[in-house]
Amino acid sequence: MSQQLNIEFVIPKCTGKAFKVEQGQLLRVIQHEGKQVAGLIFLNAHNFKEQFMAEFSGGLSFFHPDHLGSHYRAGVLYSKVPYERAMLTVTDNPVGDHFLGPHCTKTMMDIWQAPGHRSCSDNFSDALSEFGLELKDIYSPSVFNAFANVYIDAKGDGSVNIAPPRSTQGDYIEFRAEMDVLAVVSVCPDDISPMNDHTLKAIKIQIFDG
Amino acid sequence: MTWHVIEDLIVPKCSGKTLRVNKGQVFRVMEHEGKQVLDLTFLNAHNFNEHFAAEYSAMLNSIQGIGGYYRLSKLYSKPPYEHVMLTVVDDKVGDGARGGERAGHFMMCHCSKRLVQHMGAPPDTRTCSDNFADAFREIGLTQEDTYDQTIFNVWMQSWLTEDGAMNFAPPLAEKGEYIDFLAEMDVIAICSVCPDGSSPCNDFEAKALRMQILESDEGTHSETTP
Repeated sequence: MSQQLNIEFVIPKCTGKAFKVEQGQLLRVIQHEGKQVAGLIFLNAHNFKEQFMAEFSGGLSFFHPDHLGSHYRAGVLYSKVPYERAMLTVTDNPVGDHFLGPHCTKTMMDIWQAPGHRSCSDNFSDALSEFGLELKDIYSPSVFNAFANVYIDAKGDGSVNIAPPRSTQGDYIEFRAEMDVLAVVSVCPDDISPMNDHTLKAIKIQIFDG
Repeated sequence: MTWHVIEDLIVPKCSGKTLRVNKGQVFRVMEHEGKQVLDLTFLNAHNFNEHFAAEYSAMLNSIQGIGGYYRLSKLYSKPPYEHVMLTVVDDKVGDGARGGERAGHFMMCHCSKRLVQHMGAPPDTRTCSDNFADAFREIGLTQEDTYDQTIFNVWMQSWLTEDGAMNFAPPLAEKGEYIDFLAEMDVIAICSVCPDGSSPCNDFEAKALRMQILESDEGTHSETTP
């Protein structure tokens, strides 16, 4: 492959980080230690109102004539209405466990009887503040939960099952940016549920020039 | 406590509508002809940045054991607000589907220009995006301004299989069946009477819906001073 590594860095456990990825560059989100979920939000770098719409991307990928994916394996990440444009394409996805759904929040920690526990909301707030944004500027709390082993019951109430991640150190998912994007990453701080196998770890990022 | 209907209207097929529901009032959505889906979201009437988050509500209901992606008891707003905006107080269709093979409702995205294009529909096909755009215009908003595209698809019988495929079947709700939402704050209901007439979503025919606002004889508890 001809891609040149442009930059790599480790995002420490329980923190958030926002950074730009230019059109044509490849973004790799990598298991630094293993079994750790990274919540991902993407914004158009030139118009922060154009935001990645997680669940919608699962549906659009599934119903695409070329069947580009499904709810648990989105092939293309689209922006919300009225934009509805491809923001990123998944170019390599050897693990495949991801969840297009809500990130953890203050209220989830309250319900889990861990009031005051850090949540992805805190990480996203910190990361967004570097670009003058707040959590309230993000329209949907549904994000790309990379490596999350989470499933919705096909029957009954449609309840949500959270299992430990199956990915191990070095596993990754790779995206190609189809436009200049601001990537906002939360290294999920949830050690209450099995989401991160009850231990909190770091996430590694690499950006390649296409 | 006796409940009185204070507003009663038929919302035509393929259209959007906004309705103010004050704290303490009940918002009732009723099948006018049967097997018609309503795409529904809510805004805090005093802060349009605070809106209902459907998938997030599914998660919060699930971890409390009171619902999930196919049925909700409590409708929450997005972070950082995270308030209970409305409570479902009567939902015979959703309760009836509970534990069965079928889904009562669906907490996911609404149909849009791009989605129906992927499904092979002509480019000028009307979608819930158009209805929502019309509804938002009534309160001076555009689709750029706000909102989460995941909404409460009332009576939409859709579900995800274990491999993430999305299935559809006609709604279970028949004429006269309804769902009641008790407003826990002053809200604006943003409604799209789903215009899809070509899939099982609305049983292959777009139809009208009936909506009512009910008030108890104890009055409402609006946060605003009259």
